[in-house]
Parts: sequence; structure tokens; C-alpha cells
Amino acid sequence: MITYVLKRLGQSAFVVLLTVSTVFVLIRMAPGDPATALAGPNATAADLAKIRTQLGLDGSILSQYLTFLERLFTGDLGTSYSFRAPAFDVVIDRLPYTITLALAAVALTAVIALPLGIWMSRRADTGREMGANIVTIAAQSMPEFWSGIMLLTVFSVLLPVLPSSGFTTWPGLVLPATTIALLQVALISRLVRREMVSNLTSPYLTVARAHGIPERRLVWGYALTNSAIPVLTALGTRFAAMLNGVVVVEVVFNWPGVGSLVVRALETRDYPLIQATVLVTAALAILVQLLIDLMYPLLDPRIRLGKATAR
Amino acid sequence: MAVGSLAGCASPTGGPPPGSVTLGLNRSLVSLDNKLNQFDAAVTVQRAVRQGLTRIGADLTPVPVLADRFELTAPTQWTVRLREGIRYSDGSPVRIKDVSTALTMYRQVSGSYIAGFFPEWPTVVPVDERTFTLETKRPLPVLDYLMANILLTPASANVPEELQSGVGSGPYVVTASNRGTGEYTLRRNNNYWGRPARVKQVQVRFVPEESNRVVGLRSGEIDIIDTITPDSADQLSGQPDVAFERVRGTRINQLFYNFRKPDGHPLSKASVRQALSLAVNGKRLADEVLAGSAQPAVGPVAQTLNGAVPCGTYHYDPRRAKQMLEAEGIADGDLRLTLIWETGEFAGDTSVMEAVVQMLGDIGVRVRLRQFEPGGNISEWRQGRAGDWDILGNGYASPVGAALPILQGMYGGTPERERTRDTYQGYINREVLTLLDRAYAEVDAERRQKTTARIQQVVWDSWPSMWAFVPNSVLAYRTRVADVSLEATNSYQLARIGLEA
Repeated sequence: MITYVLKRLGQSAFVVLLTVSTVFVLIRMAPGDPATALAGPNATAADLAKIRTQLGLDGSILSQYLTFLERLFTGDLGTSYSFRAPAFDVVIDRLPYTITLALAAVALTAVIALPLGIWMSRRADTGREMGANIVTIAAQSMPEFWSGIMLLTVFSVLLPVLPSSGFTTWPGLVLPATTIALLQVALISRLVRREMVSNLTSPYLTVARAHGIPERRLVWGYALTNSAIPVLTALGTRFAAMLNGVVVVEVVFNWPGVGSLVVRALETRDYPLIQATVLVTAALAILVQLLIDLMYPLLDPRIRLGKATAR
Repeated sequence: MAVGSLAGCASPTGGPPPGSVTLGLNRSLVSLDNKLNQFDAAVTVQRAVRQGLTRIGADLTPVPVLADRFELTAPTQWTVRLREGIRYSDGSPVRIKDVSTALTMYRQVSGSYIAGFFPEWPTVVPVDERTFTLETKRPLPVLDYLMANILLTPASANVPEELQSGVGSGPYVVTASNRGTGEYTLRRNNNYWGRPARVKQVQVRFVPEESNRVVGLRSGEIDIIDTITPDSADQLSGQPDVAFERVRGTRINQLFYNFRKPDGHPLSKASVRQALSLAVNGKRLADEVLAGSAQPAVGPVAQTLNGAVPCGTYHYDPRRAKQMLEAEGIADGDLRLTLIWETGEFAGDTSVMEAVVQMLGDIGVRVRLRQFEPGGNISEWRQGRAGDWDILGNGYASPVGAALPILQGMYGGTPERERTRDTYQGYINREVLTLLDRAYAEVDAERRQKTTARIQQVVWDSWPSMWAFVPNSVLAYRTRVADVSLEATNSYQLARIGLEA
């Protein structure tokens, strides 16, 4: 187990480095100049040259990259051009907001999607299931910016009961989390339904049913447990993706998370901030995936990490 | 953890806590200093915390703030006296050294926003504990305007970069800030030397999307939003508890020609520039595309500025435009132009550009639009380093309140500055330079104004812009807030606003 974790951590470090390196090169190849974005509108060419020197942008990409690597290994991700503060600290300041939003959205998704998926599986191919399917497909088809604006119009403007933007009070979490959950519920409930139907019609459950095991236990004890791995994987993957910033939702609700931060960093060509965001969120996403992998043996004792699964 | 420190005083629906006002800014404040940038809404907040010797008042003339005397005592000398008993929020006195240090820091900062307006930096010469002179080599008759942009900080805490924290002498102090989210909490400065602020607490929130600011205002989460577009004003008009403040602005938005064209290029001829201008129906653009939120310019700077004079009007006469082009040997389809601008340069920018394409198309001139996103490389294009262009959609802010420094900033380009592409789109006019020199050297206000008026006419007659307009500044606020008095600089005095009982 420990060997497996260490091996995965080693692989993860390599993946993070590769990701950050790719981003490092790509943002420097993109049009735009941090010095121009940073300098005032009256900056002269000499001012811009001075700023580029101060920011260490006057050398080749290779020399900038080597400097970046050297600093990276000492834990220094540079200073954000626009915030004039360590880029790592700026990202860490925003991260709790994104984690809170992602956790709330995933929790809301799980609370709604699991019972809904089970309910749909128990009524597979009936009119009621078809109705539920239509609703979930409709929810899945709605772009987040649209559903967000609709929720905002109803609950913040027409019935001003929830905050429309920012995160100054806990109720401020409701609308953005619901917006994300709307899409996720549709995806996860259909996944749960598919897995449950597959398990409920499998031979082992037919045998169990023949042995007189109560239906309730078959559903909640057997079928759901065996459906847990793909569902957990899907939820975990989505949570990890949300850690990279739920850009659209964060912009619609002015959520002060990593997504809106990265938009701003890109607009101002804030290279250290972009790199720090990518590094932190990529590392977190990989860590979440690792944690999910570590949970597999708990859900299915046949799985032994780092070894081929027994057939 | 940041989330753990949620503003506990906000109401459950996110509205301002009792006795507090919430401002929704379209740009993150980032700092409470204006060394590098000075967007309009920030002026309101920055000056509530830090102050200058003067400020640009409602009539766009300098009003004394930390100085109680600021007068021209010799052609190259201004005598200034600090107000008695003025102190920073930490109780320390405002000293002459703070003025000299501030001037040094504003001069030294790379990309200084203010530097472009100062033809030369004055030297501070102390006379007594409160009095000093500002000495220049050449007369600088608008120094009282320019000094309004130099905000004072204790000398020991000032550095040649934007100040993120620290104390000021203003009616408010910053008690909490989060640069990451752009949220600041200001509390009344109980040690303030002047009339205390009426509102005890001000929350400053960064809400970049205009639609969010509008929704926030409608729902009561935000009390004041500024710099709103005509569309947003339409959405808010008729809403209960929402009121507007509208003033004529000082900013001028232009469709400015590229003056770096070689001799022989059609745009190097004033007659061609004039012809293209005749093809633009400015009235329709102002009334319909910009929904009446702007006035076509009648001079090279906004008429609200002190010293601005009307020089002419933009006429719409496509037939004459075509005749003038033909007289220059330019037939239908011969002239192809590239119009560049950055998204958000002004409200309704894309619609204006698309309408201009149509209007120029009507006289046989084809226009290609090239739109840049913020943070892109439009600056390199403007300087002609990344590609060629013909017309630039651009806005020029005029925070100093007077026409002369703005004319100097825009039209005072010299061949030396052009070597580093530091002129305004390549505009160099020897007659204008001579007149600017004369105006700056003139101590007599009447004679200086005469020269300033002449500069504007010379610039106007050179057809620098295909079309230009001055947008109104519009601010919307909840009626629970009283005495919001928007000034032409698109800012207001935070200490003056109050809350309805």
C-alpha cells in the first residue's frame, strides 16, 4: 500500500511538473505583454523595458524557465504582478472559496442524485421513469450560465431571498452550488440508474432474491454497494474538476474562487499567478484522485491497490 | 481560512449591515494608491483614505485639501502652506517631508500614471514648519491641478510602487482588506482633522460583471454602482428605491487616426481624414447606438475641462466625403482601412465600430475590424510594433480637470519621444509644440487661456479623429443613501454621503 502511494505520488509530481511547464511555455507564446497590462496607460517604452527587466521577462523563454524551476524547487512561485503578493498566497487565499463551493455542490448532487437514481432504477422503463429522464436530460442540457442567471433572477431579484453575488454570508452558497448541482444531478442520477439496473438484473441478485433476501436489502445492501465504485469515481472526478475553478458559475455569481482568479490572471497576463493556480489546482486534483483510488479497497475488498485484481 | 471569516455583519441576503454602505466597483481596487493607475471609481475610495494638497472640485477647479494656501508667487514658484493640525489616522502629523517624498515616489515608479501630465517635477523647498515652495525651472501654471493627483503618505512608509496598506489623512481608515477578492472595509476615521464622515462603515466590493452589479443594486445587496452603460441604466430605470446621478464627463473617446503613416499614404493627408469624418453620422451614433449617453465632441478635449473651447462640429455629408476622396484620386473600393480597439474601451464599443464599418462602406471605403481582448497585445499594435492599423478606438481620461495638461499628454508628442513610440499614435505637430511651450511659460491666466484655445483649434483643424464623443458619467444608487453627488471626474466624496433615517 505504502509503495503504491509513494509510486503514485512520484507519478503525480511528474504530471504536475509537466502541466506547469506546458502552461509556462504556452502563456508566453500567447499574444499579450504583462508589462503593458501592468503599466499605466501613459507608460513609455523605457518604462515598459524597465518593468520587463524587473519582472525577469527580458531573457529568453529557456532562461526564464530555468529560473522558474530553480525557484519552484525552493517553494517560490513568484510574485503576482497584479496583486503584488506571493502568487502562491493569492491562490491559497482563494482556494477555500472554491473548495467550499465544490464540496457543497458535490454534497447536494449526492443527496439528490443517489435516491433519484435508485428510484429511477426501481421504475426502469415506466412512464414515471421516462418523466424523470426528461427532467434530468433537460437539466443536463441547460448551460450553467443560463440556469445560473435564471436562479439568480428568481431568488435574488424577483424574490430577494438569497444573495446574488459574492460570499459574504452562508446563504450566498446556495445559488452557485445549486447551479452546479443541476447539471451534476442529471449526470450522476443517470449513472446510478444504469449501474443499479445492471446490478439488479445480474445473476447474483437473482440467486439472492431466490434465497428470499428482502428486496430492500438487495437494493440498498447489494446493488448499491456494487454500484458505488463508478459513482464514487464520477463524483470524485467532478469534484477534482471543480477544484480547477468552476469558471462560468464563479463569474455569474461573482464567486471569489480560483476560477474567477484565473480569468483575471489571464486578462492581466499575470504569469506567476497563472502558474501558481495551475500548480496548486493540478496537485489538488491529482490528490483527490489518489484518495478515491485508496477508497476502492474499502468498497470492494477484491481490489488490492498496486496489484492485478483477482479474477 | 478565508471562508471562516465571512463578513459576519452582512445581512442574510448579503445586504449591507445597519449603518453601512456597500459600493460595487467594476475593477478591483488592488491598492489604495494611484501611482500606476487611477480608474474613476477608485478615486472615490482612494481619496477617502489618502488625500492630496488639493483635489479637483465639482467645477473642475482645484480645491485646497491638506493645504490651506496654494498660490503662484513667482513664475516658477508656488507657495504652499499645510493646514494647521492635520494628522494621519495614526495620529502622526502631516509634514512637508511627506510631500517631497511623495513627489519622488510618483516620479520613480515605473509606468507612472501621473508622470505624463507633469512637464517637469517640482522641487520642495521648506520655508517654515508648515510652509514650503514648489520650485520649477520653467513656469508650471497648472501645478495646483496636477498636485491633486499626488496623494500623501508618511514619508517613512512611502515607496516607489503602489501602496497596498498604510495610513492616510482621509475621513476613513481601512480596517480589513482582501486583495484576493477585492473586498475592503473602511471605518470612519475618528482622528480625522476635518468634518467626520457621516456613514460609519463602507464596504467596498469588487464585482467585475456589470450584470452582477445591476442585480446586486436591484436586490439591495449593493448601494452604489458607478460607470454603468446605457443598457444597465435602462434596466434600472423605473425600479423602486433606485436613483441616478448623471454628469457630463471629462473623458473623451475617439476614433483616432494613425499618424505613423508614411508620406503618400492617404491618411497622411488632412483632407482624406476630413473626408472620412464626413462619412460618419455622429448624431445617429450618439443618439441611437449610444442611446443618448454621449455627446459628439466639439473640440479635441471634453468641454467640461477648464480651458476647453468649442472648435467645430462633426458634420455628416457622405456625398461631399466621396467627392473629397475622389479629388484625392481615391475611387470606390480603393481605400481599405483597419480599425482596432480593445473590448470595453467604452460602453457600446462594438456596436459603434460595426456602425462605422457600414457608414464608411456607404462611401466605398472598406473597413476591417480587429478587436483585442483586455490583456492582449493592443499596445504593441498601437505602437506599430505588432501590425499596421489605420484607426484606433480609444478613450482618454482627463483626471486633472484642465485642458492644458490633457493637450500636452495627447498632442505634445515630439520627434524624440516618437523614437521610442511614446507619442500619442504618432501625432507630432510643430505648431502645437510651440504653442504648448508658450502656454506653459505664460503666467498671465488670460493670455495662457488664449494660447490654450489656439492649441485646440490647431489640433482640431488637423483632423486627428474621424469622430470623437464625450460620454456622460452615470451612477446608480439605492435611495437609502443620501447626498451622493457625482462630480465630472466620475467620482464623489464618500465622507459626504449619508443614510436616510
